[in-house]
Parts: sequence; structure tokens; C-alpha cells
Amino acid sequence: MNDLHGIIFAYRESPELRELTRIRNACSVPYGGRYRLIDFALSNLVNAGVSDVGIIVYNSYQSLLDHVGSGKDWDLSRKRGGLRILPPFSFSGKHHGNRYQGRMDALAGVYSYLQDIRQDYVILSSGDLAANLPIAEAFERHLATHADITAVTASKTTADPRLTTFFTTDAEGRVTDVEVGPAAPTGQAGLETYILSKSLLLTLVDQCASHDVPSFSQGVLQNNTRLDMRTFLFDGYAAQIQTVVGYYARSMELLDPAVRSSLFRTDRPIRTKDQANPSVYYGPEARSMNSLVSDGSIVEGTVINSILSRGVRVEKGAVVENCILMQRTAVQPGATLRHVIADKNVRINPGRMLMGHETYPLVIPKNEIV
Amino acid sequence: MLLAGGQGSRLKALTSKVAKPAVPFGGKYRIIDFPLSNCVNSGIDTVGVLTQYKPQELNAYIGSGLPWDLDVSDGGVHVLPPYVQEDEKGSWYKGTANAIYQNLDFLEQYDPEYVLILSGDHIYKMDYSQMLARHKAAGAACTISVMEVPLEEASRFGIMNVDENDNVYEFEEKPKKPKSNLASMGIYIFTWSKLRDYLIADEKDEKSSNDFGKNVIPAMLAAGEVMTAYRFRGYWKDVGTIDSLWNANMDMLAPNGSLDIDDPDWPIYARVSARPPHFTGGKAEITHSLVTSGDEIYGTVDHSVLFHSVTVEEGATVRYSILMPGAVVKKGAVVEYAIVAERSVIGEDAHVGGDRTDEEDWGIAVVAQDLKVGDGAQVASGAMITRNVKGVMA
Repeated sequence: MNDLHGIIFAYRESPELRELTRIRNACSVPYGGRYRLIDFALSNLVNAGVSDVGIIVYNSYQSLLDHVGSGKDWDLSRKRGGLRILPPFSFSGKHHGNRYQGRMDALAGVYSYLQDIRQDYVILSSGDLAANLPIAEAFERHLATHADITAVTASKTTADPRLTTFFTTDAEGRVTDVEVGPAAPTGQAGLETYILSKSLLLTLVDQCASHDVPSFSQGVLQNNTRLDMRTFLFDGYAAQIQTVVGYYARSMELLDPAVRSSLFRTDRPIRTKDQANPSVYYGPEARSMNSLVSDGSIVEGTVINSILSRGVRVEKGAVVENCILMQRTAVQPGATLRHVIADKNVRINPGRMLMGHETYPLVIPKNEIV
Repeated sequence: MLLAGGQGSRLKALTSKVAKPAVPFGGKYRIIDFPLSNCVNSGIDTVGVLTQYKPQELNAYIGSGLPWDLDVSDGGVHVLPPYVQEDEKGSWYKGTANAIYQNLDFLEQYDPEYVLILSGDHIYKMDYSQMLARHKAAGAACTISVMEVPLEEASRFGIMNVDENDNVYEFEEKPKKPKSNLASMGIYIFTWSKLRDYLIADEKDEKSSNDFGKNVIPAMLAAGEVMTAYRFRGYWKDVGTIDSLWNANMDMLAPNGSLDIDDPDWPIYARVSARPPHFTGGKAEITHSLVTSGDEIYGTVDHSVLFHSVTVEEGATVRYSILMPGAVVKKGAVVEYAIVAERSVIGEDAHVGGDRTDEEDWGIAVVAQDLKVGDGAQVASGAMITRNVKGVMA
């Protein structure tokens, strides 16, 4: 499918992710052990045969650059097309200071890139959505219905309604109403994924720029009664990562086999950066129950209801329960952690005891020593 | 030049569909990942892989060489099968030396100063650049990597007899009365111009079996070339038999193992599957084992090495075993002292292998790839299963 071009929005600041986004963008937050959130958006596009992808970034994207590199791990390191990281090269910041105020603002910031897109259609997606979307199917539907815009939606959502767009449709599937962050949500929940033609996209970006409307929701979704907008309803698992509590809850849902089989399909694999880690070694006294453990980890203590990223160490006598431990975190002998999210390279010294709560997990920032 | 054409017939059912270097090893790897990673880590950027027997899977595995950073525009990894030469005179590779001889054109294209000859059936980590430094310092025509073996076992190996400078004055293939305990590891560095001459001469000799150990090395010694030994100390295992393959896999479990594969300065690269982290169920018990991506463990696993996408169902027990990619052990089944190859399914309450005994017929049980061992079936220790085994009615 070479007629679809991918744009991934990765500029958004997510203050409600607190410590997790202190040094990185929400799109490169580790999720599901060995992944970063953007792996889902990238893999979805590649699995649909999309060969050209632009990632729109604004700041704190060093971690993202490090992760996606040339795009090699997604087969996006190509002579023609492939992966492009798009910093705000055309952004004047004339209206609103030093950040993008919305998706239309961001698209205007990379306007010359949009003009050079060689495909007739564009899919706009969000880099912080974890879902295994059938993009190829959605694109086929978009072409078959001759809609101007197709919005990918979910029938039910765990996302915060304040941060979500809801679509109401008529009997023919046409969108009749769009509500942004409603108090009492009705209709289908948007997954911030839209398919439209390149020419319409450029027209809309021009329109919004000339009317000084930076927001896609206000400038396009709610302001264009002339457009034929339809939805593509996705019934699989979708996790929008917006807050620390949400991140914790969406992560723990991965311990459910039904969620994993929706997210990690063998026919549409989620790819990530390869790191040459050996297998996980379990020691003679190890216990691991109801947990996801990534390669390169060494487990000699007890791990229950937890998610471990690559290269984590749980030493003898240590207990890790209901926790998310990111890359190379070390839990030394006899330490106990419950409801803790430990960022990369955290060290928990012997015998320490740390406890958060399901509704307020304790987050330990990167490189800290407890 | 990596010799990867051997049939590996002593691995029996495990090499019925793939060449030995493509046999899975150590949870995430295939045997060939070790010499290939050693090359890259030693700074070698041009590698020829000589294939012959069942090459399809090996070729696909090597691909562009991307996992080993060998997808470069100058050099990189080249798969070299035998080919038809002018006048349709081509032939299969007759011996190790003949395999290199048939690729003289390939070597001349790169015109190297030195050529390293490797085999694709050993598990070890070695810095070939140190061996090359020794070769250059000694001004040798050939340097042979050797390791000390117990003298009583020396008669099983090719033995190098050396002088006080570790220069080789005699080579004995499996000597009855060994004079030294320095065994050849089948790893050679040659000065290319010398090797070229000896290969051409060896090819002209109709009595030669065109083998490095049997023919080329003795010929060079006889001609008085400077031949030197490079002493290797460290973990090195030949994995040419079912027992040695099983043993070497079990070695990967040794805490602070003799082979540290988690060394950031010497990574072992592999082509990996895009599967999520492994999941351990609520009743899982995993001890002293290696487990990797895509595995789903609900039962008991002890002293075992599991490759990716393996399922061990609730109530199943796996001990002292190797489960290759995609293997499934159903409810209540027991797998012990066994190797279950790719995608084979062990049915409910079946029993594969048996606890170690001193009896002579005890051995590692092997289930070849893509087979079904039926519910309740019994597979004895030492058995080699190459076709489906029917279930037993309860």
C-alpha cells in the first residue's frame, strides 16, 4: 500500500505523566516491558505497508531519536522515503511562543515536508497510543466510502474523557456531532487517528493558518459541516497513555492474556529497537508469577503481578509486587517494592522498602538511588 | 571464511532440515551467531559463509547481515554456495581446503593480507584480532588456535607439538601416544599469498582429500613454513553431537557461567523475533532456567533452556530440557532430559525422556521439528522421534 503516507504526532507535552516525561516525550515512555509507546504507531503503519513516515517533534526528543534511529528496526531506513524526524523547521512561533498549540499548528510547522509528500493520502496518528490497529482495512474503507475524512474510533474507552474526542454518527455512519472533552461523553471515542487526502490536508492547514486556529479539533472536526466525515470502529484493545495512574492501569492490563493477544498479534507484529539482550535467567530460588519479564533481566528473587523491562535485576530475597521496573533497574537483596514505577537505571539498595498505592503509584525518576 | 557446509549428521534429527550452523542454541541464538559475532567484535567486516548442505534456512537467517552490522556497502557478509564453473566443471565442496579453493575468485576480489578460517559448529567467544597480532609478530605463514585439553583425552583431537616459542614443528591427527595436550580448534589464520599457493598445489594433488587438517597444514609444515600456535583460554565447546549440544546449553545456566553472554563489550548478536516479553502465569514455577520473548509459562520449568514462543501449560513439568522456538508442552505432560525441536507439540499427560540413570541405554530424548507426541504417549529416554507419536486412550 504505497498510496498512504504516515504522520505521527510526537510533540505533545504530557504534564500529567509527571516524572515519566521529565526527560522524554510521552511517545518514548517505556510500555509493556520491551517497548516504547511509539513502537505501536510505527509498527501499525509498517504492517499496513506504509513506507514513508514523518514524526513531528518539538522538544525533549533526544530519547525518541535514540530509540527510532534511522528506522532500521521497522524497515524504514530506505533510499527513497522511509522515516523522517520532523523538528519545527518552518515554525515561526509568531502567535503563541515556543510550543505547538495544536495539531494544525504542528502541521504548519512542517509545511514544506507536507508539500513534498509523494502519496495521495495521509494518515495522521498519535505516538502515544498503544493499539494494534488494522490501518490497511481502515484505508480500504476510506477509499470505498469516498469519505473526506475517516476517523478511527473505539466503542469503549478507558481514556480520560476530558482528553478525548467523541463522535456521534447517523445510520449511514456519517459523523453528525463531534464533542471534545465532554462532561458526559456519548458516541464513539476517537483514537486520534485520521485518514484524508494530501490535497485536503494542505487545504485545511492553509485554512487554519489563515484563520489562526491551531487546533485540529476546533479547526477541522468541529468547523467543517461541508466535509463528509466517517468513522472506522476498532474493537480491539487500545490504551491512551495520558496520566501516571492511567499508565499504571493500562500497563497492568497487559497481564490479561486477552489484552496481550489483541495487542501482540503474530500477523501484525509490534517491532522495537533490537538490543542484543540474552534470555532472562531465573535463579534457583526465583519466583515469577503473573508477570511479564523482558530479555536481559536476571531474576533471583520474587516477582509478582509486575512488568519488567530489559536488563532488570531482582536479587535474592528481593520482592517486587505490582510494580513496573524499567530498563536496567536493580533491586538489591532483601528490598521490597509494592506499587512502584521505577524509571530506567534506578537502584534500590539492600533491604529498602517502598510502597505506593494502586491509585497513586510511587514513581522513582531515572538514575535515582534509593 | 566460515565453513558452514557440514551436514552435522551426528545431530541426527535436529539437522534433517537445516545445516548445523543454523541449529538453535542458548535460548536466543543459532550456532553461527557465535563465530559471526566474534568476527564483528574483532573488527572483521568482510565474511564469506560457505554453505552446501540444506542451506535455505541458513541463507534466510543470514540475509543481508543486518543483525551483525554486516549490511555494509564495502564488504559485509556473503553466502558462498558451490557453483558451476567454466565448462560446467563445478562440483560440491570436497573438503575444507577445497571449499576455500573454489572461492579463490571471491578472496581475490577483496585481496586481503590475511585470511581467517572458521567453522560453524563451536560455541565460544574469541578476539581474533589478538590471534592476528600473534600471527604478525611471529611472522607466520599460518597460525593455529589451540587449547589445552586433558592429556588422557588428547588422542581424540588433532594435536600440535610446539617448541619453546610455541612454533609448531609437528601436527598429529588423533595420536595414540600424544606428545602434547595442545588441541587444534579448527581456527586458522593464513597469510593469504601463502595459502593461495598451497591451495592450488593441494588441488593438483589427486591423492589429497583437500582438508586443512589432513593435507594443507602437514604440507606447509613439511615445506618448513613458519607455523605458530595461538593459545586460547576460555570457554569453547564443540556442539556436534546431541549430548554435547545438550551439555553446552546447560552450561548457559551456570551462574557466572563460563561463557558470559551478557557482556556489553562482546555482545552476541542474533536475528530476533518480534515477540512481547515472556509471561509467567499465576501458578508458574521457574527456577534455574533461561526464558525468552513470546514464551507463555503456566507450569513448572527447572534447569531448562527455552527459546522464543514456547508454551508450557498449567500442570506441565519441564526439567533438564531444551525447548526450541514454538514448542508446546500441554497440560500434565512431563518433559525431562530432552530436546524438543521447533513447533513440536507434546500432548496432555505425555511423558518425554527419563530421569538420569547409570544404565547404558539412558540418553537425551529428541523430538524432531513439527511433530506431535499424542496425549498420554510415552517417549523413552534416549529416543529419537522423527514422526508423529499416537496418543494413548485414557
